[in-house]
Amino acid sequence: MEYKVEAHRIMSISLGKIYNSRVQRGGIKLHKNLLVSLVLRSARQVYLSDYYAGVCLNAQHIEAKEWELMDADREKLIPASEAAQPSSADCGVSEAAQPGQTRTTGGAQLCLKRHVGAEDGRASRLQEKDGDSLDPSDVAVTSPVSPAISETQCGSSDCETDADAAVTEGDSRQPPKDHACSHRKRSAEETGVSETPVKRTKVTPNAIVANNEIEEGEEMDTSNVSNLITIFGSGFSGLLSKDSAKSESETDDSDSGSGQICCEQMLKNLNPWTTAIVAF
Amino acid sequence: FAGGGVGGGNDFQWCFSQVKGAIDEDVAEADIISTVEFNYSGELLATGDKGGRVVIFQREQESKNRPLSRGEYNVYSTFQSHEPEFDYLKSLEIEEKINKIRWLPQQNAAHFLLSTNDKTIKLWKISERDKRAEGYNLKDEDGRLRDPFRITTLRVPVLMPMDLMVEASPRRIFANAHTYHINSISVNSDHETYLSADDLRINLWHLEITDRSFNIVDIKPANMEELTEVITAAECHPHQCNVFVYSSSKGTIRLCDMRAAALCDRHSKFFEEPEDPSSRSFFSEIISSISDVKFSHSGRYMMTRDYLSVKVWDLNMENRPVETYQVHEYLRSKLCSLYENDCIFDKFECCWNGSDSAIMTGSYNNFFRMFDRNTRRDITLEASRENSKPRAMLKPRKVCTGGKRKKDEISVDSLDFNKKILHTAWHPKENVIAVAATNNLYIFQDKIN
Repeated sequence: MEYKVEAHRIMSISLGKIYNSRVQRGGIKLHKNLLVSLVLRSARQVYLSDYYAGVCLNAQHIEAKEWELMDADREKLIPASEAAQPSSADCGVSEAAQPGQTRTTGGAQLCLKRHVGAEDGRASRLQEKDGDSLDPSDVAVTSPVSPAISETQCGSSDCETDADAAVTEGDSRQPPKDHACSHRKRSAEETGVSETPVKRTKVTPNAIVANNEIEEGEEMDTSNVSNLITIFGSGFSGLLSKDSAKSESETDDSDSGSGQICCEQMLKNLNPWTTAIVAF
Repeated sequence: FAGGGVGGGNDFQWCFSQVKGAIDEDVAEADIISTVEFNYSGELLATGDKGGRVVIFQREQESKNRPLSRGEYNVYSTFQSHEPEFDYLKSLEIEEKINKIRWLPQQNAAHFLLSTNDKTIKLWKISERDKRAEGYNLKDEDGRLRDPFRITTLRVPVLMPMDLMVEASPRRIFANAHTYHINSISVNSDHETYLSADDLRINLWHLEITDRSFNIVDIKPANMEELTEVITAAECHPHQCNVFVYSSSKGTIRLCDMRAAALCDRHSKFFEEPEDPSSRSFFSEIISSISDVKFSHSGRYMMTRDYLSVKVWDLNMENRPVETYQVHEYLRSKLCSLYENDCIFDKFECCWNGSDSAIMTGSYNNFFRMFDRNTRRDITLEASRENSKPRAMLKPRKVCTGGKRKKDEISVDSLDFNKKILHTAWHPKENVIAVAATNNLYIFQDKIN
């Protein structure tokens, strides 16, 4: 869905602005950063609006990577209810903002359960794809962060891969009507999306943040939080709990020790981290 | 309709008068004009720039000797108002950019103005010196001290005429009162006090007292994480010295009465237009943020500028503006790009003409817009060097929003978003306008003048 792509893009841009504001001459502009954080929050809400709509119970720890799978495979091999595999650490949310955070997890399942329900040659192909030999035409994976399954990355955009996948699968592809994850219905729009190739960006703070946000309701991976703190530098005064309006702490706050405070607060607030925080 | 015609009810024609500033395509950041303001009589026009300098222009007296230079503005005084500073405690650099200049009403031969950067407000006295004392006893004409033993007679120094010299001297420095960035200053109608506003607080000063000010508005929440809006502009009422307004980033305006309480955290009036839910987008909040608020000269109305529109409010009606003017509605579909390139954060100002019958504000591509409140006509004009022959009439411009582009129209995608007109000023009595286009100051007059 284009709006999710758009939302993710806006989130990335917003985070970049917040980050850059730290080095702007004249000090951090409170007004601008407040506005940016509001946009970030809106975009995030849109981005995640479908996340819980589907029954995607097997959300795992997600790291920044892209994971492209064919719907058909997931349909056949992994009914959502069954997908209870623990994380392959690779199933990261994509920079491409595929509505597939769940796809990714599904994908992870697919990879791990490649032997399951192999009605067609697909699964067997997947068997071969273990390790480093994934066929880009089938699966698009970029896993800059400790891939458990594969290090192969797809050369093309997600959409193209989808299209390829569709071609490859041919008739065996089934419309994802019965999939529990409602967002799967986007598959009908996938080929349409091919005009808007998703930008693959390397793992950046944006990605990490995006991942964190997607991890709503799950255990927070504090290593990602630490990364974020590092990126924003010291002076991270804490994170908002859900629904609080965002803001940045004032410039006259002391910077000392706030990185640590942030970590502690993060651990305390396992609530969704709904808005970006600006460190001052 | 063609040919001008906005600004005063009759068919005025706006003509180029002057342009000040470098022609060079390469614009030095320090030369970018950041504020423009006429004084109360319109005789003086002050500009501030990002380099912390103030340049004051004075209007030539119309004289029979030079009939063609009717009312031209020439440089009167230039001085460095603010310097960059470094706050060592917070490791922050404080920009020298002049955010606002406000003139004081003239009370004697000298002129006074307030200029402010992000943190410090200064009161400047601009005075003329056209006489010099000569014939001192203790020093000779060069200024060297005379040998006292050589002095045999006493004389009284006499005042001799000299070439006019305009001196600017800082008379007061109002510092250390703002934690956040100052966005507004406004001189009160009592001519004794003024207010200064930053993102979260508004302070009231006495012009004579620099070591303390009264905090009259404080919207800083106890927990900064709960911050939802900031103050974006503030202004004193032109006649009622107890009344002022401030606008917020949420698109609301609060009118406060200083008689009600020492701390005006509770407003007397609250102006807000309900949001149109159909136009909601990611950027709705940003574009509703008010970038400028100005009372009409009459004090009956006020005008606010948000990203896409200008609204006129009747102070007696809080629930919606009485007039809304679209400045560049064609940008609504481009908000995402404008967010990316930061243009969506541009803070446009707006101004009234002397009779409150017309309003003016800037746009992109060096366009600026005028709206006639009576006839409801509007016009788009361009400040450009191409159209800068003396007394050349300005041709109305038009942005093509879709479909076939007519000749002379410019399409939205061709607009130059680096050429933005944020600051404009209208002479308090005449149809003379000053338009700041990056590092150039354009002055336009109507033909009839």
